Amino acid sequence: MTLAEDNGPERGGDDLFAAEYVLGVLAADERQIASRRIDAETGFARLVDAWEVHLSPMAAAYPEVEPPASVKPAIDRRLFASAATRAEPSGGLWSSLGFWRGLATAAVAALAIYVAVPFVRPPVVQPQERLVASLAADGSDVKYLVVYDAGRRDVGLSLVSGQRAAGKDFELWMIEGKNAPVSMGVIPAGQTIHMAVTPAVQQKLAQGAVLAVSVEPTGGSQTGQPTGPVVAAGDLKGI
Amino acid sequence: MAPQDISKLIVRTSMKDRAAFDLLYRQTSAKLFGVCLRVLRDRGDAEEALQEVFVKIWMKADRFAVSDLSPISWLVAIARNHAIDRIRARRSPSANIDAALDVADPTPGPEALAVAGGETERIYHCLDELEKDRAAAVRGAYLNGESYAELAERHSVPLNTMRTWLRRSLLKLRECLER
Repeated sequence: MTLAEDNGPERGGDDLFAAEYVLGVLAADERQIASRRIDAETGFARLVDAWEVHLSPMAAAYPEVEPPASVKPAIDRRLFASAATRAEPSGGLWSSLGFWRGLATAAVAALAIYVAVPFVRPPVVQPQERLVASLAADGSDVKYLVVYDAGRRDVGLSLVSGQRAAGKDFELWMIEGKNAPVSMGVIPAGQTIHMAVTPAVQQKLAQGAVLAVSVEPTGGSQTGQPTGPVVAAGDLKGI
Repeated sequence: MAPQDISKLIVRTSMKDRAAFDLLYRQTSAKLFGVCLRVLRDRGDAEEALQEVFVKIWMKADRFAVSDLSPISWLVAIARNHAIDRIRARRSPSANIDAALDVADPTPGPEALAVAGGETERIYHCLDELEKDRAAAVRGAYLNGESYAELAERHSVPLNTMRTWLRRSLLKLRECLER
């Protein structure tokens, strides 16, 4: 009888399996099973996260040890060297951060104009009341540009790239510091859409929150917290 | 550096901001190298592991948004889990048991406790409620990444006994922490 078999059908088995994974006592094959389940099952990932939170204060015992100077260049070589030497025409432009930044800046400007034009009343519009964010994430082609107009309690979203899968919705979340994400609602389908902001959310947004987009079942998360992967995120900044 | 600042660096890293990634490395690599060294007990191995850990951080930074962990704890969890996976993949587990015997009782010194503050005091208070050898097994497992097999041999009990000990200890520990 292996530990993994023993863990399966037993009541509370997943909770203990998560605890054993976090504690670090499992054998290599069991850790692989746990690791795959973390990637595939949101419920299991949450159990693991909760145990990490419980046990993490013990990590204070780890001393800080300065690594040798050779480590960081080695990391950069692993991550960025191949991209830098790749021939420019074959996707070089599309994978270039500078290109995306440029595009994002241009698109933010375009969106800002789009959002601003219908409401041009110069004495009322205060520039500091408008924040922008570019939402993107590694391993995802979903990119949104966001303009938040505090005065109008309006969030304008422009879908730069990516699509929701059939039977799924994108939900917008606001994350302030280490507080739990607060839902701002399911993002309506469309290239450029607007969402209203509640006064409670408005207050927190003014302090500069992070916005994130998660994949949820149609109609949005049932739990009040993100249940699917975060496909785009970014922080709100003043223009 | 304040936790909010590290949070921001992680979020910016998820957006492929290399300047943020460089700063994140500067701020946190010493702690994460300490984790790798403690688990792997070999400098070369720990250096290699630290490289892989930061590659993972670059790739998976977006997942931070859905974690309840503080930013530094989230980074430590990546480093710890990676180092433990690495030590499990080593061929000869017997060598590790000998090395584990040389490791002193991993209770943090007063300095580490003072730095960490209330939460750490609390978990050590809760560990004190466990029987002494079980608390030592929990700490050894967490800090050194020792497996059930290694702990069973070190404490001279059958593997199943060690498993029962630790499972009960974990549930008691959580009950105390949530009190």
